[in-house]
Amino acid sequence: MHIDYSLLSTEIALAILGLIVFTLGLTLPSRSTNRGLGAFAIFGLLIVLGITVSFWGTQAELLAGMYLIDNFSVFFKILALVAAILIVFGTMSYANNNLSRQLEYYSTIIFATLGMIIMISAGDFITLYIGLELMTVSFIILVAFRKTDGHSLEAGIKYLILAGVSSAVLLYGLSLIYGATGTVYILELAELVTAGTISPLLVFGLVLLVAGFGFKISAAPFHMWAPDVYEGAPTPITAYLAVGSKAASFAILVRVFVGGLAGMQEQWATLLAVLAAISILLGNLVAIPQTNIKRMLAYSSIAQAGYIMVGLLTASPEGIKGVMFYAFIYLFATIGAFVVVCAVYEKTKSDEIASYAGLSQRSPLAAAVMLISLLSMAGIPPLAGFVGKFYLFTTITDNFMWLVYIGLIMSMVSVYYYLRVALVMYRDEPTDPTPIKMGAAVNVTLIIAMVATLVLGIYPTPLSELSNIAAQSFFTW
Amino acid sequence: MNFPILTTALLAPVIAALVIVFLPREEERLAKSIAAIGTGISLLISIYVYFAYDTSVGGYQFVDFGQPIPWIPDLGVTWYMAVDGLSLPMLLLTNLIGFTAVFASWNVKERAKELMILLLLLIAGVMGTFIAQNLFIFLLFYEVVVIPIYIMVIIWGSSKRVTKEYAGMKLTIYLLIGSAFLLVGVMAIFAKALDITGIPDMSFEGLAQVAFPEQFQIYMFALLLIGFGTLLSMWPLHSWSPDGYAGAPTAVSMIHAGVLKKIGGYGLIRFAIYVFPLGAKFWAPVIAVLGVIGVAYAAMGALAQKDLKYLVGYSSVSHMGYVLLGFATLGLIGVNGAVAIMFAHGVMAALFFSMVGFIYEKTHTRWIPELGGLFQNAPKLAVGFMLAGMASLGLPGLVNFLPEFTVFIASFKVYGILAVIAIAGIIITALYILRAGANSLFGPARPEYKDVKDIRGPEMVPLVVLGSVLVIGGILPSLLFDMINSGVEPLMAHVNDILQMGGGR
Amino acid sequence: MATSLNPTYFIFLSAALFAIGVYGVIAKKNIIAVLVSIEMMLAAVNINLVAFNKFFTPEAFIGQIFAIFVVTVAAVEIGLGLALAIALVRKRGTTNLDDFDWLKW
Repeated sequence: MHIDYSLLSTEIALAILGLIVFTLGLTLPSRSTNRGLGAFAIFGLLIVLGITVSFWGTQAELLAGMYLIDNFSVFFKILALVAAILIVFGTMSYANNNLSRQLEYYSTIIFATLGMIIMISAGDFITLYIGLELMTVSFIILVAFRKTDGHSLEAGIKYLILAGVSSAVLLYGLSLIYGATGTVYILELAELVTAGTISPLLVFGLVLLVAGFGFKISAAPFHMWAPDVYEGAPTPITAYLAVGSKAASFAILVRVFVGGLAGMQEQWATLLAVLAAISILLGNLVAIPQTNIKRMLAYSSIAQAGYIMVGLLTASPEGIKGVMFYAFIYLFATIGAFVVVCAVYEKTKSDEIASYAGLSQRSPLAAAVMLISLLSMAGIPPLAGFVGKFYLFTTITDNFMWLVYIGLIMSMVSVYYYLRVALVMYRDEPTDPTPIKMGAAVNVTLIIAMVATLVLGIYPTPLSELSNIAAQSFFTW
Repeated sequence: MNFPILTTALLAPVIAALVIVFLPREEERLAKSIAAIGTGISLLISIYVYFAYDTSVGGYQFVDFGQPIPWIPDLGVTWYMAVDGLSLPMLLLTNLIGFTAVFASWNVKERAKELMILLLLLIAGVMGTFIAQNLFIFLLFYEVVVIPIYIMVIIWGSSKRVTKEYAGMKLTIYLLIGSAFLLVGVMAIFAKALDITGIPDMSFEGLAQVAFPEQFQIYMFALLLIGFGTLLSMWPLHSWSPDGYAGAPTAVSMIHAGVLKKIGGYGLIRFAIYVFPLGAKFWAPVIAVLGVIGVAYAAMGALAQKDLKYLVGYSSVSHMGYVLLGFATLGLIGVNGAVAIMFAHGVMAALFFSMVGFIYEKTHTRWIPELGGLFQNAPKLAVGFMLAGMASLGLPGLVNFLPEFTVFIASFKVYGILAVIAIAGIIITALYILRAGANSLFGPARPEYKDVKDIRGPEMVPLVVLGSVLVIGGILPSLLFDMINSGVEPLMAHVNDILQMGGGR
Repeated sequence: MATSLNPTYFIFLSAALFAIGVYGVIAKKNIIAVLVSIEMMLAAVNINLVAFNKFFTPEAFIGQIFAIFVVTVAAVEIGLGLALAIALVRKRGTTNLDDFDWLKW
């Protein structure tokens, strides 16, 4: 069998980059080189990003359908890489000051990215599982990275246990689907599973699949790991978990459900709609009493997962487009917020919302970015989140009007707790009025996140067209 | 007319805000001057457009770039900035109030730079809603105004009866929840229209041509009524209004009561009634009843108030009842009158709030029993206050008289007894306005206010600008009515066409 | 021979094993025991995969290949879990999950 390895350039390049960074981290002993290592990792990731972009427009399958390359997967790969680059870039000084030994840090981030990218392109269950586990295992290491800090370790073990359980549940679901259909290839599955061929085994497998993926995207009621892990993990990792891991999981969720199990849409759509509703309600309501900003963002990310799920319900190109659009703008909003959290933590050594008092006077840029990011998540125009929600919710006004009500009313409720942060930042007097000095890298990242959120809110056409093309390619297999 | 003159007017305050961002913190006076220039440019443009608009031709004029510019094609969004006889009075009103609001906050010392930035963004947002002829862009601006208001209330607001945090949050959450219903409606409408026509289009004109089924119209109109009604402080969704105004700084109260509320009324006529005539017909009696309850309830509420800001707040809820009553007639005359009330009340409320703001600034109280005899020391302030008060109770010769009269005539034909109750509201209005004026301005001079200085310099701007509009509008009502008529007539013609065809569409 | 074994047996066996694993994860308080329970769940998956391979797609080895991957990754996971458990014992002196309440669980 002839295998065109050039189609795997992204993955191969990323794997090589990860190994080089790992080796460099081992062989360069002095502390001062850590900084250089981060810069090198970013440089490498940029090259990989360039390679990935060049795949735009390619539609090919590899190894008899085990690996799929289309605009849909390229879109999510770009997303994962952009997230990795921005996070590494924006939090380099945090990593330098707060993570003692970093030689594995950057390479593990790269391997986590590799896992995401494999998962995004997966065309069968085995590849899916390998990518998923590579990502999860890397994240477990990263979450527990501050191994002298009990919080970090505790978050790590909690993530490990719940990720292990969810993988097992997911696998069990996959094995049942394999048993019911006799195939592990997603594209073959699409042909085999039609409305007439639904067996109890398949339905049971589907339910387990929903539960397993629910863990990965932190949808309620499978969300309980998220607040603890988000709070305990080093902040850059929290950011990457919230953006990268979630987006990649959504990509494969779309691939399996809309791509493979479209014949069972009737069965899973209602299930996912209920899950989305619970996530939106619970995420937003439980976020209200939180006092730790990372925990608050964790609950808000649960709600965001609910919003994104809305795009799957109709299994239509419009819905997938909404998922992709929203995932991308969510990236900028989340990274903006978490980079501010990092910057503030470096100065105040606290993640409590109270420590943000007077941030607008200590660092106007950080306060503005935080406000804009939070409001974008709430879907206030002219920020990108508004357009994103518009794309998502217009697809379901026919069949799930009740969910539209829940989604939009709860997103206005979410403004309540987002604005409490604004209140602290803008009204309160700082306890320590010294300005927060942020490095150039942080400033640049913040400005990128802010400008992207603003511009995509006012003029979303370029991104919406890209996601439209990507969504179309998804349906041309 | 290809020069994007309306976009220029929209961008002037935004650019001014950007300039102020880069000013050093100490340059307060410069910041205020730049803000005045920014809003002044917009004001001049809107005055020019108002008088250059050809009422005999009607329709959309001054279309930016000559045509709608595609903006988000897959949502049917176009950058469609244009004015007609309905938008223009609102645009003018916005800029009149925006310009004077800058001067009304001339004495703010604390973080004046930030105040000016937010104020300018707020003005630009409000302006955008009135000139955007595309539903999506309208919504964009509609919601954009909420957040600056929140920040302004929590920083510069006053905590008299309720804390400013409470007032700000109440106002914000009320308006946002209202807008959530509106958004649900808009999404469903967009999806439905796309279903029916197959072409994504969100311009008001385009949506009005879509033949929505009657049941759908009734459903959607209810959602829009909740959304816009909240903003218009329709009873029983009004309770944010007095608290919010009392907590807000003067400039915000002026803009909010003056123009922001009117976005609700504007949305009702421009979007809800125009696009869903059958829905409007179904809900019109409900609107009329709610409007009249609002008039009576809020007038009674105002009667009981001792805080000047609460008094004006309740009075504005009461006036919005007349607007709703006018809309509920679904006739040309009634709607004309309602739109004219929106303009007239805007000018009056802004003047009122700015004068109350000055009184508070100078005496440090808004509590009516503690005031008295201000006329002796501050005659100009007292004149401004009484001018606004007289306009509020509908004194002939001021701009408010004729619009209210028109609404009474039109609604009496349609709703009879309801209109009588609404007219009775005027009497209560006269009662509380005169009593407030008498107790706070006249009577013997109180010793504690001996040193109160009259308004002067920049402080005079609100009085001069808004006061002269009140008077000119009263003497030459045709200036206002011709304009409004040219805008409302085609809208109502469309509505009546569809109503006459009945539900058979 | 073909009549004596049918896939239903294996489905029930693996379902039972999986259920025991789930129960263990929920009920056990010791990290090691929880990790063992997760392994049991994965073992259930493997039984499924191999059995389905045997009965439904005997011509392709896809299920068996899948099972080998699962075994490998499970080993990675358990290794990581034990490493974390050791670190936790050093830092906090306990392997009881109930003691890990610094973060609101």
